[in-house]
Amino acid sequence: MSLTSERVEVPADAREFYARAFQERWTDGLPLLPATDDAVDALLDASPYPADHVVCVLPPVNGVATVELVAVNAALAGVEPAAFGFVLAALEALSEPEWNAFGLTTTTSSVFPMLIVNGPSRDDLGIDFRAGCMGGAAGRGSMTIGRAVALCIRNIGGQRAGETTKSVFGQPARTGFCIGEWEERSPWPSLAERRGFSADDDVVTVHGGKGTFPMADIHNDDARDLLYLIARSMAYPLANMFLGNVENGEVVVAFNPMWAERFGNIFPDIDDLTRYLRDNAWQPIDLWPEANAKLLRDRGRVDGQGRVHLVERPDQIVPIVCGGLGSLHAIALPSFGESTMQSKPVVRPT
Amino acid sequence: MSTDTIWVRRPTATPAGEVSAPTFRLDRPLAGCTIGLRTDRAWRSWRTISTIWDGYLRRDGAHTIAIETGAQVGRPAAGDRKHIEELAGLVDAAIVGLGTCGSCTTFTIKDAVTVEEHEKPVVAIVCEEFTVHAHNVARHVGHSEMNVLVLPYPLEARPVEELEQIARDYYPKVLELLGVSS
Repeated sequence: MSLTSERVEVPADAREFYARAFQERWTDGLPLLPATDDAVDALLDASPYPADHVVCVLPPVNGVATVELVAVNAALAGVEPAAFGFVLAALEALSEPEWNAFGLTTTTSSVFPMLIVNGPSRDDLGIDFRAGCMGGAAGRGSMTIGRAVALCIRNIGGQRAGETTKSVFGQPARTGFCIGEWEERSPWPSLAERRGFSADDDVVTVHGGKGTFPMADIHNDDARDLLYLIARSMAYPLANMFLGNVENGEVVVAFNPMWAERFGNIFPDIDDLTRYLRDNAWQPIDLWPEANAKLLRDRGRVDGQGRVHLVERPDQIVPIVCGGLGSLHAIALPSFGESTMQSKPVVRPT
Repeated sequence: MSTDTIWVRRPTATPAGEVSAPTFRLDRPLAGCTIGLRTDRAWRSWRTISTIWDGYLRRDGAHTIAIETGAQVGRPAAGDRKHIEELAGLVDAAIVGLGTCGSCTTFTIKDAVTVEEHEKPVVAIVCEEFTVHAHNVARHVGHSEMNVLVLPYPLEARPVEELEQIARDYYPKVLELLGVSS
């Protein structure tokens, strides 16, 4: 295939290439694989699009992400050709206007694209959804797809800490976050199925997540009590969703398979589950000091019982099932608020 | 090529060509003009300053239209952007703020661009910490010459008296950037 991106002569030695990547500002700080023509061509062969097809325009600097340039970054991250479509799908998703990439790539917040994968290719590609799926499991798919998307935002979008993004802290996910859902252990339809896709589709959903918010319990065997505590915990007083518009954004909550089974027994219909979570994700207005409370009252956030709900609608709480069988834990992925999650199918050559 | 080197492809995007949309000046006295004031409900300090400027503008013979924004996506954002579009059509010039966080600076610039696209004078108000970011955003959306007025940082947590003094001190600069003539 005829490549058009600029050719650069670099050291063949791995350590010297790593040093050169710093000089060129190509790296997120971790070592990279060289994006040779062979590596890039192999990725392009796995795409249904021509190399010059524009996937999206990436903020903050509005760099044009052609399939070729995305492939170059995917090669740096070590993406397998079979996984390249997941990178493209993620970029297509986060460039939907309602994901608000321009806002999210420039904000003071830590928010970053968090990729949730559904579909039959999870195991084949090493997309982690079992023990340690949010860090430590080390599946090639999870680590390389997430990182390729992050490198595209860095190298094509031009996102640089302290320069083009005002993110105060950043977060570990800024080098990539990609997990799967353990669909086989979920008592509910998968996230992708709930969003209109078939169980046979490989789908990437991109959530603007501020980080991983851990929750744990060993003291209560009642599933309804546990869900109540999870809901109340997600409604922490300084959550972004108490700052902005109640109708915007979603909170993802990851249940381990053991807890999911218990929750599925009492809420076999996920709509009933999300309604219960929404109804219990609140804090009393008295919790906030007067300065905060006044603004919440002025914005109509306080209901007749003196409660301030985290979200307006049940669909703004998004359960998924993943993680190990050790039980005891749940993780929320809190929202930036002014962002709506997007899903795209993985498209392969016909 | 040396045996100690290999060829790779550069992963960075070619910077877009420098494009700069025109800026505009009032070039007439303030009296009789209609000036738009865009606030953001997130920032109490900016509400204080813009309220004072609103009073000064009316004192100096202008009509004012103030709108408050507060959303970036969804139905609330669609309403905000519609109001900005309407404001841009109604006013002779506009003051748009406040950039004192990353995404709010981005949307301050985007809303100021809407005014410039109506060929009206506009000044974007940002705090010092976000100056470079504001200019970057303006450049990347093709409005690198946009008027940006930089206020001290941080504004939040200052006593009201200090905000009132800042409003007084910077009002003449706003008029200068809008191109108000005497």
